[in-house]
Amino acid sequence: MNFDVIIIGGGITGVSTARDCALRGLKVVLLERDDLTAGATGRNHGLLHSGSRYAVTDTESAAECIRENLILKKIASHCIEDTGGLSITLPEDDPDYQSTFVDSCRAAGIDAQVLDPEEVRRLEPNVNPDLIGAVRVPDASVDPFRLTTATALDATMHGAVILTYHEVLDFIISRGRMVGVKALDRRSGRTVSLHAPITVNAAGIWGARMAEKCGIKIGMYPAKGSLLIFGHRICKMVVNRCRKPSNADILVPGDVVSVLGTTSSKVPLDECDNIRVTASEVDELLLEGVKLSPKIAVSRVLRAYAGVRPLVASDDDPTGRSISRGIVLLDHETRDGMPGFITITGGKLTTHRLMAEQAADLVCAKLHVDSPCRTAELPLPGSEEPAEMPDKKISTRAAATRHGSRISQMDFAQKSEVICQCEHVTRAEIEYAVRCLDVHNLIDLRRRTRIGMGTCQGTFCMSKVAAVLAEALGTPEKAPEFVREYARERWKGIIPVCWGESLREAEYMRKQYGNEI
Amino acid sequence: MKFDTVIIGGGLAGLTAGCILLRAGQKVAAVTKGLSLNEAPRNRFVALGGVYLPGDSVLPGGEWRKNRLLRVYTKNLGKTPLEAENFILSTGKFFSRGLIATMSEIKEPLFNCELDYDTDRGKWCVSEFFERQPFENFGVRTDGQGRVFVNGRVAENLYAAGEILAGEIDIEQSAAQLCRNLI
Amino acid sequence: MQELDLSANDFELCLKCNLCTTVCPMLAVNPHYPGPKQAGPDGERYRLKDPEFYDLTLKYCLNCKRCEVACPSDVRVGDIIQSARLSFARSSAPLRDHLLADTDFVGKLATPFAPVVNSVLGWEPVRKVLDSVFAVDRRRVFPSYARERFSSWFRRTARPMQEAFSRKVAYFHGCYVEYNYPQLGKDLVKLANAAGYGVELLEDERCCGVAMLSNGFSDKARKSAQTNIAAIRKALSGGAEAVLTTGSTCTLTMREEYANVLGMDVSDIVDGIQLATKWLYERLEEGTVALNFRSPLKPLKLAYHSACHMVKLGWSIFSTEMLRKIPGVELTVLDPKCCGIAGTFGFKKENYDYSQKIGQPLFDEILSAAPDIVVTDCETCKWQIEMSTGLSVQNPVSILAQAVSE
Repeated sequence: MNFDVIIIGGGITGVSTARDCALRGLKVVLLERDDLTAGATGRNHGLLHSGSRYAVTDTESAAECIRENLILKKIASHCIEDTGGLSITLPEDDPDYQSTFVDSCRAAGIDAQVLDPEEVRRLEPNVNPDLIGAVRVPDASVDPFRLTTATALDATMHGAVILTYHEVLDFIISRGRMVGVKALDRRSGRTVSLHAPITVNAAGIWGARMAEKCGIKIGMYPAKGSLLIFGHRICKMVVNRCRKPSNADILVPGDVVSVLGTTSSKVPLDECDNIRVTASEVDELLLEGVKLSPKIAVSRVLRAYAGVRPLVASDDDPTGRSISRGIVLLDHETRDGMPGFITITGGKLTTHRLMAEQAADLVCAKLHVDSPCRTAELPLPGSEEPAEMPDKKISTRAAATRHGSRISQMDFAQKSEVICQCEHVTRAEIEYAVRCLDVHNLIDLRRRTRIGMGTCQGTFCMSKVAAVLAEALGTPEKAPEFVREYARERWKGIIPVCWGESLREAEYMRKQYGNEI
Repeated sequence: MKFDTVIIGGGLAGLTAGCILLRAGQKVAAVTKGLSLNEAPRNRFVALGGVYLPGDSVLPGGEWRKNRLLRVYTKNLGKTPLEAENFILSTGKFFSRGLIATMSEIKEPLFNCELDYDTDRGKWCVSEFFERQPFENFGVRTDGQGRVFVNGRVAENLYAAGEILAGEIDIEQSAAQLCRNLI
Repeated sequence: MQELDLSANDFELCLKCNLCTTVCPMLAVNPHYPGPKQAGPDGERYRLKDPEFYDLTLKYCLNCKRCEVACPSDVRVGDIIQSARLSFARSSAPLRDHLLADTDFVGKLATPFAPVVNSVLGWEPVRKVLDSVFAVDRRRVFPSYARERFSSWFRRTARPMQEAFSRKVAYFHGCYVEYNYPQLGKDLVKLANAAGYGVELLEDERCCGVAMLSNGFSDKARKSAQTNIAAIRKALSGGAEAVLTTGSTCTLTMREEYANVLGMDVSDIVDGIQLATKWLYERLEEGTVALNFRSPLKPLKLAYHSACHMVKLGWSIFSTEMLRKIPGVELTVLDPKCCGIAGTFGFKKENYDYSQKIGQPLFDEILSAAPDIVVTDCETCKWQIEMSTGLSVQNPVSILAQAVSE
């Protein structure tokens, strides 16, 4: 199989690069060993940074952020909720920091407005009432699953081939050039060989291991971050602390939940596939988080999760201690004498489009293709126009928030039965996901819709969804296997927060499914 | 209102015990938060003449004389207590709030009965979902006759049955066994 | 840290066990209704994000509170739905709903012309007009209006005699006793006097407002509530030992809905609002009151029906225990089932069939029990059961009043 470019990694970076290349007319194939967003893309804060958090120490990074922030709000509107953000000063914080903060924001092109604390208490009744200052910034809430799904959809609509559950085993090197990859189709067990003049390593934290397969060293610093999901929307806006960035100081509204984060600790590279949230991380998040909103102390925590940030060592520091925070684009031809291979890494969710643009620019340069980047202008599928509601049902409206105008592809008339009641997901939405969004199991389905991401974490609907999915995939006998897999996946995030109401839910979940095996 | 036995928590254990006691000629009342999940034992209980008080909950404490529980009050009945010779505590585990778990400890909320449980929250669950979880074995300690411990002493006439008990329990068996001490 | 307040009616306490869904009488007959869990806690999470997520089918909720009785997680599901209907429903109500809900307004107009009104409401052509123009189902039997309002009768006849009693209770009679069935009020006075207590009326009284709440008129309900709360407060601080009621729904509304749905403070008066049968039972247990029954008493076969709101209050046992004290009474306690009328709900054409379907199992059980009289504490259950079974339905207070000696 011959392509123009092979992309390794199904996170937002890889998928976005696939989209950019496909829009430029290249023949693209993307390989992801698991499902899309299984890495850091599916485990972050869901925050579309305004850049304000970085403004004081890194103007350039902040300016980059706000530019991308505004672009994404235009082209990915159905994946983003423009909630706005607050940066609050508490009595224990340095009161002078606020003016430095505001000046730095403005210098980076970020619209920062000082608000009166009384007004903020009115706007956000659940914010810490002791705040003595606040600045409004253009932070927003972004759903990384929706974003990646829509980006992948656009890529495939423009001819890209996306192969999930395909693990790259080795590179194919011919006369000192990388000319392709050998990959394992994990579902069928067969090996495939794919050829392309350029291979892009967009494998996030696993990019180091990937590069090692052809003897190239990339210094990576896996920085684990843990987060907590609260059952409902506590604040309407993103709430930050107006101080030097630290742990547990951002609360983000994510659709109908709230996400509190994060922590930061270094973990060994080989533990990245098996990270668990620890009790001390949970305690730290709660104790610090309650300073953002007192409601943290009395709101139900649904689950905890952790991701690993792909931080990269700055190349020109031989000690490896200086971490580059920006986008890292490595041309392995010039850096390591391996033509046909590039790595795109570092960066953050907010700047993924720019990362992809830089990678695609380099790919095109290598291929001598003269095609401009259009990803900043063209809207993602679902964001081209406002969704048209065929009826007034809650489930239809909920589907529109998740898929934008693509709800026109869903058969609400015939399939309106609500399957996941916490998140109002209908049979119509599930069948659309199976038909168009590359779903192979319940965990994939969860990422494309929202099933099981609500209050009961799948306790109520798991069996039913599994049956509907198995039927839609034409493999009804797989339903029990789907349940087993999914129950285990949900359980991972429940254990660290298993007290109070979540322990009650866990007992109930065990009673319902515990004997399934 | 006077009864021979008052059952606190009308789930499967409580109502099974209740039916046995009713058949033995006792006057029995069952107070339960919510409605019992199992319709059949509920209907049997009422058909046998049991006084069934759904959507009500016993208030914490109760009135004691030394180690003997004399009467309990409920949320709905106000001034009117439920008095009985014997009481059965069958309020279940965490789901039915028979046991309450905070971030750091687990308590029996009505009488502060002594519990068997691991004080280390990190040990409440195991990573394999399909294995019996440690928290499913937490519960109240009882003496050989099924009576609970309150304030370091055996409560003379307060028995426990069903899921509220520590260990792996056969619900109906625990109820039947208990009734042998009450008839 | 992380200890939730169980009394705060947090929809987050919901574990999705669906017990509420299994006991919802509306869901059993109406597939369009999403059910209490979906309409309540599930919906609330989404409504919090965006009020556009309000679902019009919430209008099917009967407010029977059976979901709350069943919930093992302390979620007041019915309250969440009622509050959502008041906060999020946008379209204005039709004239019909105003008329059905404002019982004081209609009652005051109707009672002076009671005989005419009663005949007219029975006329087929009039019922057809009510049906087609106002969407009040023609099959629904209207309660008749009394010629004299209860409060007028009380002031004219009973009040002078009440002075003789040193112990006093106040009586919240409610709109049904006032405009339709003063006999129940007369029975309450007789019973209280027989127990050695004088009765006084509240300084001012409005309909408790439950129909206003369920039809979306929260401002009107709040005004009525303010009047009632003030009058009850005054009566209790003025020497009345309690404010007695004879209607289970009025009682629930004042004790719970005023606080939980309207956010009003009733903490200082809630213990003083007592259903008459409960209050009497407590006094008998205390030994501060004695009741003597007439002899001989004709044997009476009674079937007691627990109104949904009585099940929520948990006070059926007081009514049944009081009935058991009457010599010669053979009492069957019916399985608690919803009668289907749910106040003004069952009068509306679009709901009538649902109401009747919901109540059918209850009507069947009553007919097979074949009692002389059906006894219940709820006046709208009374209308529904009388209409749907043809049997006579009485309040326990009336049965007791007929059995006591002076």
